[in-house]
Amino acid sequence: MQPGMMKRLVPWLFVGPAVLSVIIFLYGPMIASLVLSVLDWNLLSPEIGFAGADHYEAVLARRDFRQAAWNTVLYCVILIPAQIILPLIFALMIHGLRGSRMAVIYRSALFLPTIVAYSVAGVAWSWLLNPVNGLFNEVLSAFGWPRSRWHTDPDLAILAVSMVTFWKSFGLNMLLWLAALATVPQSLIEAARLDGAGRLRMFFDLTLPLISPTAFFIAVTTLFSVLDDIVGVVDVLTGGGPAGSSTNLLYYLWQQGLGYFQFGQASAVAMMMIAAVLLVTWAQFALVERKVHYE
Amino acid sequence: MVKDSITTTKDPPMTQFSRRAILATGAAAFATSFLPGRARASDVRLTVSSIWGADKPFQKVVDAFNAKGLGVQVENRFDGDYEAATAKALAGIAAGKAPDLMVTGWKFGYFARRTLGARDLRQIDEARAAAIMENFRPSLVPLVTIDQALIGLPWAMSTPITFINSQLWAEAGLSPDLPENPDTDWLYDAGRKLDAALKGHATYRSALALSNNEWTSQSFIQNAGGFIIDPEGRLALESDAARAGMEAFCAPAHEGLWLPVSGKEQDAAFEAGALAICTTSSTRAVSFPQGPAKAITAKFPGLAGHARNMNSGGNFLAVYTQEAERAQAALSFLEFCASKEGQMIWSEVGYLNTSTHEIPLINAFMAPAEAQLQDGLSAETIWPGKRGLEGQGIWRNWVTRMLTKEVSVAEGLKQASAELALVLAD
Repeated sequence: MQPGMMKRLVPWLFVGPAVLSVIIFLYGPMIASLVLSVLDWNLLSPEIGFAGADHYEAVLARRDFRQAAWNTVLYCVILIPAQIILPLIFALMIHGLRGSRMAVIYRSALFLPTIVAYSVAGVAWSWLLNPVNGLFNEVLSAFGWPRSRWHTDPDLAILAVSMVTFWKSFGLNMLLWLAALATVPQSLIEAARLDGAGRLRMFFDLTLPLISPTAFFIAVTTLFSVLDDIVGVVDVLTGGGPAGSSTNLLYYLWQQGLGYFQFGQASAVAMMMIAAVLLVTWAQFALVERKVHYE
Repeated sequence: MVKDSITTTKDPPMTQFSRRAILATGAAAFATSFLPGRARASDVRLTVSSIWGADKPFQKVVDAFNAKGLGVQVENRFDGDYEAATAKALAGIAAGKAPDLMVTGWKFGYFARRTLGARDLRQIDEARAAAIMENFRPSLVPLVTIDQALIGLPWAMSTPITFINSQLWAEAGLSPDLPENPDTDWLYDAGRKLDAALKGHATYRSALALSNNEWTSQSFIQNAGGFIIDPEGRLALESDAARAGMEAFCAPAHEGLWLPVSGKEQDAAFEAGALAICTTSSTRAVSFPQGPAKAITAKFPGLAGHARNMNSGGNFLAVYTQEAERAQAALSFLEFCASKEGQMIWSEVGYLNTSTHEIPLINAFMAPAEAQLQDGLSAETIWPGKRGLEGQGIWRNWVTRMLTKEVSVAEGLKQASAELALVLAD
């Protein structure tokens, strides 16, 4: 083999396995879903019918789909700002303690829920929130306050699931913020302080632009994690209930596909979700990325 | 130098194999292959997809069968809950690798037969199928007959019964003599007395829970003389009997005696002594009485003035392999499952004895469930239609809406019926 050819081939050999797995496990199922969404087929029957847009029309007409879609919007509205801003506030506070033992303790304690399995977290929280004798209601009662039905109340279920999801996943974003804050040169901070800049001014005019690549990364990945991470909590804590009040689109998709074996409609939901996520991600890149300072 | 010294001093010596040792081992292996109960290369190897892991009595049934050395070796493959196991079976069948047998939930009856192709046992071998079914109560045969096909053994059967925390019951000054056939008037009155007597109690928090699901609500509707789906296969939710049943079911929730939660939360509250009464699966009779609640049991509440018509739940053991030899081998396993020996081992799990064999109750707390079986049990709702599996979820959602007063019972039944009709007609 000629040396030039070898040089061109080696990078492909390195990236090949990764590209192949992405094609097989990501794009392959996406294409399969697209095909299934326009077919009337249960995967087993030799009779395969062409459904066209029937599954899409059927799904859009369904009350439970509209409820799941609305819930997904609500989860995003509640969780995306919370999972970006609150971890940043905690990260700034811990960054302020850098070098001390307390910083290590706080960082570990706040990150700990992230490594707890969703099943474990869901069971633990279902005990804490149990409306009959959970710890939260016992505390409320001790103070003479009315007991709550928490996740078993259709009006509170989304908030309860959001709270558990936030508890479970905000540690990762906090760690990312901490890593970004550690890269801000102290000399610039000191210079700004000597120039008389206040804390808020320093944060918005100096720190935030310097950590904006991380901010953009967190903004994009938090959207995906909010759509995805909730499923584990919903499954263990509420099962989508009561009466579908806490379900989201991904859980609804899973239920339709692997609970009820309606692959056509489940695939139609998957396609609509992919389109929506692509649109939002494109908007994020178009509107926000220009404000990111990579240098 | 340092590395060398470490490897020479710390590594364990290699095992020495002599020719004699190798010959002895080979001879022993050859000899044991002739002992009964050992797997042989010529054995037919079957996989049974189940919802029970190696720590459950089902594994003991499988092990006992394998030990017989009948030329069939069965592997119990734990595939998760009913939904997960069915999804895996579907994927396996699509890939040409169907499980030979599968523990299949009752609710999947139509799906198992029409989509997954559960075998008609009579088509595999009519004589053997008939002999197998002679081991089961004749009243249960209709429960495993779908589209005129005998699709499996009535394997695990339970029925909802009433569990009472004996300590809270005694502390409230209620009589320990429970009626043989309790009804809702008696049960709800007891709930009110518990609530009045145990205010401020250290653990007591709620009088009763009837299980917020499609199963116990079906019991109430049937005990009022109605059906969710009548024996002719028609939706029957918009009947006076169905409304009477659901009104009786929702009454304690509307009165504040029952705080509807999920099954696992209900169990946790009952075991913690926070809940005095709960109606749930008879399989809890193996755990609740031994737990801190020291539960005692009674029949599921009937409705005063109505004949009981209780329902069952659980699963059936079906054959899915399409290969003739494997299907015959699967019947061998089913023969063992249906035998007294198989049923004796299986009875440890706390399901009802569906067989004709005389098998003692696992404990006295199972007596009300056994009595309900003797009275006659109908099937758990098997939802028909291509989209039938959605039926259970839809009905469950409407049950919750009625319990939480999101809709009135009459409106809930009307809307549930309309939504179910669309799904079941598809």
